[in-house]
Amino acid sequence: MKLPFTKAKKNVDADYASVDIANKEVEGLSQSQIVRRRFFRHRGAMISLFTLGALILFVFSALNNKIGPFGYHGWWHYGIDDQPELISKGCPQYVTGCPTFHWRPGFLGGKNFGFGDHPFGQDDIGRDYFALTMRGAQRSLTVVFIVGLVAGFIGTVVGAISGFYRGWIDAVLMRFTDFIITIPVIVLGSVIGFHFGNLGVSVLAVMLGLFLWTGLSRLVRGEFLKLRELDFVDAARVAGASNRRIIFKHVLPNAVGVIIVSVTLLMSGAILTETALSYLGFGVVAPDVSLGLLISQYQDSFTTRPWLFWWPGLLIVTIALCINFIGDGLRDAFDPRQRRRLSRKDKSSTVTGVKAGH
Amino acid sequence: MIAYIGRRLSILFLILFGSSFLVYNLVAYSGDPTEGLRGNTDPKAIQALRSLIRNLQLDVPPPARYFLWLKKVVLNFDFGTTREGLSVASDLRTAIPTTIRLILMSTIIAIVIGIAFGIISALRQYTRFDYAMTFIAFVLFSLPVFWVAVLLKQFLAVSFNNFLANGQIAIWWIVVASIVSGIFWATIISGSRKRVWQVFGIAAAGSAISLELLSATHWFKHPTLGPVAVGVIGVGIAYGVTYLSVGLQNKQALKSSLAMVVASLVLYFPTQWVLNKEAGIFPTLGLLIFTIALAVVSGLFFSKIDRGPIVRTTVITSFLIGLVIIIDKLMKVWVPYINTDAINGRPIPTISENNSLLPAGNFWFSALDTVLHLTLPTLALSMISFAGYVRYSRGTLLEVLNQDYIRTARAKGLTERTVVMRHAFRNTLIPLTTIVVVDFAAIIGGAIITESVFGWRGMGTLFNQAIRGQDLNLFMGVFLVTATLTVLANLVADLLYSALDPRVRVVAG
Amino acid sequence: MANPVLSVKDFTVEFWVDGVWYPAAVDMNFDIEPGKVTAIVGESGSGKSTTAMGIMDLLASNARMSGSVKVKGEEMIGAPKSLLRAFRGKEVAYIFQEPMTALNPVYTVGFQIVETLRSHFDMGPKEARVRAIELLTMVEIPNPEQSFDKYPHQFSGGQRQRAMIAQALACDPALLIADEPTTALDVTVQAEILDLMRGLKDRLNSAILLITHAMGVVADMADDILVMKNGLVVESGTSEEIFYRPQHPYTKELLGAVPKLGSSKQRTLPYSSDARPAPVLKIENVTIEYPKRGRIPAFIAVKDFSLEIFPGEIVGLVGESGSGKTTVGRAAIGLIPIKSGKIEIVGEDISHATQKDLAKIRRHTGIVFQDPASSLNPRLPIGESIGEPIFLAGLAKGDALNKNVEDLLDQVELPRSYRNRYPHELSGGQRQRVGIARALALTPDLLIADEPTSALDVSVQSRFLELLQELQDKLNFACLFISHDLAVVDILSHRIAVMQDGNLVEVGDRDRILRNANDAYTQRLIGAVPVPDPKEQAERRAARLAVSRK
Repeated sequence: MKLPFTKAKKNVDADYASVDIANKEVEGLSQSQIVRRRFFRHRGAMISLFTLGALILFVFSALNNKIGPFGYHGWWHYGIDDQPELISKGCPQYVTGCPTFHWRPGFLGGKNFGFGDHPFGQDDIGRDYFALTMRGAQRSLTVVFIVGLVAGFIGTVVGAISGFYRGWIDAVLMRFTDFIITIPVIVLGSVIGFHFGNLGVSVLAVMLGLFLWTGLSRLVRGEFLKLRELDFVDAARVAGASNRRIIFKHVLPNAVGVIIVSVTLLMSGAILTETALSYLGFGVVAPDVSLGLLISQYQDSFTTRPWLFWWPGLLIVTIALCINFIGDGLRDAFDPRQRRRLSRKDKSSTVTGVKAGH
Repeated sequence: MIAYIGRRLSILFLILFGSSFLVYNLVAYSGDPTEGLRGNTDPKAIQALRSLIRNLQLDVPPPARYFLWLKKVVLNFDFGTTREGLSVASDLRTAIPTTIRLILMSTIIAIVIGIAFGIISALRQYTRFDYAMTFIAFVLFSLPVFWVAVLLKQFLAVSFNNFLANGQIAIWWIVVASIVSGIFWATIISGSRKRVWQVFGIAAAGSAISLELLSATHWFKHPTLGPVAVGVIGVGIAYGVTYLSVGLQNKQALKSSLAMVVASLVLYFPTQWVLNKEAGIFPTLGLLIFTIALAVVSGLFFSKIDRGPIVRTTVITSFLIGLVIIIDKLMKVWVPYINTDAINGRPIPTISENNSLLPAGNFWFSALDTVLHLTLPTLALSMISFAGYVRYSRGTLLEVLNQDYIRTARAKGLTERTVVMRHAFRNTLIPLTTIVVVDFAAIIGGAIITESVFGWRGMGTLFNQAIRGQDLNLFMGVFLVTATLTVLANLVADLLYSALDPRVRVVAG
Repeated sequence: MANPVLSVKDFTVEFWVDGVWYPAAVDMNFDIEPGKVTAIVGESGSGKSTTAMGIMDLLASNARMSGSVKVKGEEMIGAPKSLLRAFRGKEVAYIFQEPMTALNPVYTVGFQIVETLRSHFDMGPKEARVRAIELLTMVEIPNPEQSFDKYPHQFSGGQRQRAMIAQALACDPALLIADEPTTALDVTVQAEILDLMRGLKDRLNSAILLITHAMGVVADMADDILVMKNGLVVESGTSEEIFYRPQHPYTKELLGAVPKLGSSKQRTLPYSSDARPAPVLKIENVTIEYPKRGRIPAFIAVKDFSLEIFPGEIVGLVGESGSGKTTVGRAAIGLIPIKSGKIEIVGEDISHATQKDLAKIRRHTGIVFQDPASSLNPRLPIGESIGEPIFLAGLAKGDALNKNVEDLLDQVELPRSYRNRYPHELSGGQRQRVGIARALALTPDLLIADEPTSALDVSVQSRFLELLQELQDKLNFACLFISHDLAVVDILSHRIAVMQDGNLVEVGDRDRILRNANDAYTQRLIGAVPVPDPKEQAERRAARLAVSRK
């Protein structure tokens, strides 16, 4: 139900001086410099980017890891398989494995700041909960990035081909996405997770990615349909460019904003999907660890041992929140329409820019 | 129009056919329902295996079996049996209403509040309120529903139930709540610094006094509104709705709405009598319809010109007053309800969709029970969808406010209320409706988690059971329902789109 | 001065950008009396629209105004919102440039007029409807009764602008502010709208503040003129003073740049009409159809069209919007498939050519587009855009390619350093030059120029046309120059072809078409073009009205 493409005859240079003046802000910068500049100015996104980066480093360096023949040692003194003795000293009555993390200063009767042996506590059988949450966060982050890559790639390719070639190719691809969209994500994920969850987190993530690209492909298709009507595409064609060159050199770089922003949103959705699946028992399964699985295992212990519940949850929220804010910052950066509003102080400012008439 | 819908419906059937075929084979090939029984030499197991194969026609390869299944579905509306031999259709019949009840309320709440806050956020772009709203929306957006659910169970249900034991609000709670309320209203109102502080003071003091009053009178133990409170709230609703709908300078609409408040107060006791005597869903609905009919009459009586908007205003007002009266009625059964053995003074439940130990036959008891069971899941679900609606309506409204026709509307000398509500909001509704409708279908899919957390037996539970048990017929039954709802939602979205946007309106014939 | 409707004193508008106030209009001083038309003219960015919007505080929130604006003696600057609202629409009404976007798409035209009436008068819906239909009748919208219930998108551009005017006149405003009221319209429609505005102004004795960049429109309408440049009024005076005795160099330059219909000589070709070489472009009985898409039915854009262009010849193709001229231009270089007929370029038949076949003719053709904003890839530096045809033809690479690009930039008189700039860093005129450089990169035999100047300011346009002429003299390519502006076509063309509704109306030597058109449509088209000379324009208008009255 799109409107027919109508080209308004309009004086493009029509003077809306405010627009002209607004451009003063970006004088002499390349397109990507402008985007970067706007992004760097988005405080929420910058804080999130920093936090997420630090979190990734922290989480992945904590434990021993093996990827194929390569491996490294983490800085944390427990792994997820270690089963040290369950400690109940200093814990409330009938509770074992409480966190050893303490911060209350000595003059208030505390033990000053310190991590202790098990800062996040221990689980039922004595495993270090800090190690477990770190492994869970690793799993979740892995899923997020693999899903982002796989779904981002498929969605972009399908959307690009659909929107660029239109006609029957478009019809076939879009019907196919319609098919997949009728299946609720979480149900699809459950079916996938039920059968592939035990094959490891990467397989699960790839499988999820194989089905989560539909929303993205629709957006990319819309963007391609819009961009392919622009004159510079015709200009490239007259210059003798092939379809492939037009797609990759001319259209795709202009659709990159839409793609990046929606892949980010897709990734923040992916972490919630993964944890929800693991919570339901359809995602990562024991003995492997996932944040969703930890929450599901210890939700009933909330009243007695709330730390078993808080840490994995807070990690999920932090990761998802960071990705969402980064996505918001990217959207603002790629979409120049938003203008800043004045505060009362600005209104009475006397700083003036260039004089009129020059 | 009819031809158009017909064509869309036929495409819809093709999509359903395609996707169900795809899913059927996907699920059939990805798991074997006989897995646990194969290789077992126990004669009983062999017997069970044989009957399972016979009942579920497992000897037919999946693609062909799909058509056998489809034939039965299409011709006899027969969804087959689960592996336990139960009818899938009857399972669905009990599951569908449960799920709908679960998501309907939360979706409505999320939409209304989400859009309202989105609009305020857009109108106050780049103010403290806007930033705070953005932040809150993002936080809610990033919350896993199962995690929130556990928190709500602990902090809301358990704490509230504990609190009810004495019904006194602690003083520090009152202080915190008053400050929060003051900050909230102060950020919504824009103006000079002095005005912001004034608003803060009034809002904080108002909240503190009313909370203290409620606490001192043990209101939470014996909550009640009564005719006076209904009247006061009614007048507030009348003014609020009139302001948003037609503007307060429209005296006819205001009079008509206030007349309905008076009418509802005059009829308050007769209504109570009816609600007690004929307790049930239909008499209640009947009263609501009667109220609305009365509102139409009142609107027509008070208006000479512009009847449409005035009748609309009156109807909305009296519908809301009707809801207040129903809430009032529910509050009246509160004390006996929490004192029953089944409740034992802890009214907010954390699990399941109703309390089976409750004495049967009392309509208002079970109505209150249903409402209370809905509280936590509705809160959890609406918190999360609320975030999406805030962001989306804010973005759309900002885009619309940048359009030329908004400037035209201002240049015509219209009031800011008319510019925003009539010109901007009306255009915002176009994309918003599409999102809302399509979203509704997605939430049905998401119910699988919510139902699992809160122990409801709805479609999500069936899905869960079907996947774990490799129960293909059950799976397909639930899938067909959700998929149909999804494609229908898309169709409805398109139809609404063309109803709202004259530019794409389908030409008759 | 008697009682001015609008009195502007020391009026300044500034915009807040990135921590600094940028002035957009500075120290404006003017009065308008009832029944008079004051025009503010200027090129883009001169601050004329900003002034118009600032008068009734309609600018974005990052603007601030100072000075004094009095409407009927009431101060508007710093006035309370309620006073501004009471004046907006009632005393001061606006007409905007783009009626498609300036009317709310979800309400009927009638509703939008009624809304204006009822927010200022105590009026019932029936009364308001009667008045609205009266207004629609006054602005000469056909079937006003039915049109009342139509949505803006169901109207043509001209009708929409009429509806906009009806809405503006609803409350008999003392002042009408018309911001580029005819820029988006065809010349014939423009002439009608201007006639309408003039008639209504005389009848209602309203004052008009006309904002426009078109000197012809100014000559047609204005009593007094302010010329603005970069936020300053450089000159002001009566229409006569400005047009016949301009003082400021900028005013002189502006007037000199406006192409005037029939002021240049017929250009000749080095060969006579009977000894022509083989045509570069040959279009024979071509019909082009846009196929059915979804529920939009198939639409025949061009019917049975034939045209030949010979080496070194510029053929102007004129017509109003929707006449199919752009479609012809795109089909001529194989961007749109044709339904029937035949197209030959340099002897090569491309009627049903595939992508591969077309690769051969790419070296012989080039195209310049209308919209400089969308004709260059925003993510490529312009050097790459210009070099792309050479690179793809395999003629040069690396340093050789850079050399070629620099030569091309020299040719279109852009600094060589611009090679590494991005399109958004260039002005509209510079981007069009880049467009030409790219089109001429392979020294083609045929250039299609699709409204290359319609988005440019007059002074930029005149320089651009000179450049195009110089290049054509030097490189001697044939050119199909598509335009809606007869005055521009007049300057360049050897021959002119006129299109209407997908049909070729007539084609002939420039002089014959302009002075001696056979076809009634062509005559009407030429008659409607406003010339930037008040006296001559008054005569032309009288002549046109005399013809239409018959």
